[in-house]
Amino acid sequence: MSSRLYPLYQKGNPQLRVFLPNFFMKLLRPTSNQPPNQVKFIVSNGMSKYDVENYLDKIYDVKVAHVSCHLQQGHTKASTKGYIIKDDDFKVAYVTLPKGATFAFPDIYPEQKEEEETSEREKTIKQIEHSFEELKKRNKNRPDVPGWFTI
Amino acid sequence: MIQMTGVRSDLMEFFDTKKHWGERDVKVGRAWKIDELRLKSNEDLHKLWYVLLKEKNMLLTMEHDAKEECRPFANPERIDKVEESMNHLEEVVKERNRAYFLLETGTSGERTGEEFENWLGLPEYRQHEEYPVPKEQNKEWYKAQEEIPTSSDYEKKKFYSMLRVKQRKDARKGISAQRASVHETLKNFPDTDLETLRETAPDLTPVEFDKIVERVRSTNWENNEIPREIKMWNGQFVRRRQMTWKKKYGH
Repeated sequence: MSSRLYPLYQKGNPQLRVFLPNFFMKLLRPTSNQPPNQVKFIVSNGMSKYDVENYLDKIYDVKVAHVSCHLQQGHTKASTKGYIIKDDDFKVAYVTLPKGATFAFPDIYPEQKEEEETSEREKTIKQIEHSFEELKKRNKNRPDVPGWFTI
Repeated sequence: MIQMTGVRSDLMEFFDTKKHWGERDVKVGRAWKIDELRLKSNEDLHKLWYVLLKEKNMLLTMEHDAKEECRPFANPERIDKVEESMNHLEEVVKERNRAYFLLETGTSGERTGEEFENWLGLPEYRQHEEYPVPKEQNKEWYKAQEEIPTSSDYEKKKFYSMLRVKQRKDARKGISAQRASVHETLKNFPDTDLETLRETAPDLTPVEFDKIVERVRSTNWENNEIPREIKMWNGQFVRRRQMTWKKKYGH
């Protein structure tokens, strides 16, 4: 384990056991046309279907009916300086939950907190406007003086 | 006070606790230190690894979703903290493994490797791997060997000479940067300890270092400030003249 090198798997050998896995999994927001019992993940590039299944089963205690993976190419962008930039490739896994189980993506950004934030932002904007008008009063009787000139 | 995390076994473990949703600031502690982890048993470390792994997955999920939805992600340094503690944990496990292997077999159980000369003639390190077929019987290995680019002795010579020029330039740049840093620190903080400053610039010779110190200490920086201000064309200079004018005439 220590060097993260596992013996080569030959057919018939016992299954390899991972003691400290360094795979990650990200749960994504569902795309359109995705049934409620299917969950989309981005996983480590080295993970196979069986790894995804075992990962969810053993670590998160979530039973899985079916997994399908594909490696997706990163976006390529042409920079203005004349070379091409490519993002890293990533693996997408669609996990189907067993019969009867569904998963709904939670509302992570509640509206109530959002309103509080916007009201605070408006307050600060009003404060800034007020202070700017006070600053303008200084040069009220000297119309030709530039804005930065203050004594 | 002992804080316990509630056991949840669900897909909701991929998300933060409900009270942190939509929050701008989340209060968190520091990463695990390596000395703290050295006190733990193997079993505890094994459990802690999975706690950290779940935390990392949660943070990655929240970060990805925040990026997609164009929202702020609270305290992104949490990911760095988790990764740091995971690295520390792995280091402790490696230490223990190495000690065990040295006792039992006389070799560290680390992955072996060798240095070899690549097609440019530069030394490169390669880690050993297991293969299902020995390379003499492996046709694909022979094919891969043919695809490796080659270079003639003349090309290698030319490449080496150019590389040496580049290395010399880089070294030169490093020395000048060190000289500048010594100059600046002495100028801004004249009471700095010279011995510690000498350690920060290892490439400078002691004679050169003393020269810089002499030069900086002999110049009077207070007098040099005045002409600099006059040179600059911004509000400072104008304001000063206005002030004097006001003082002189009293209005």
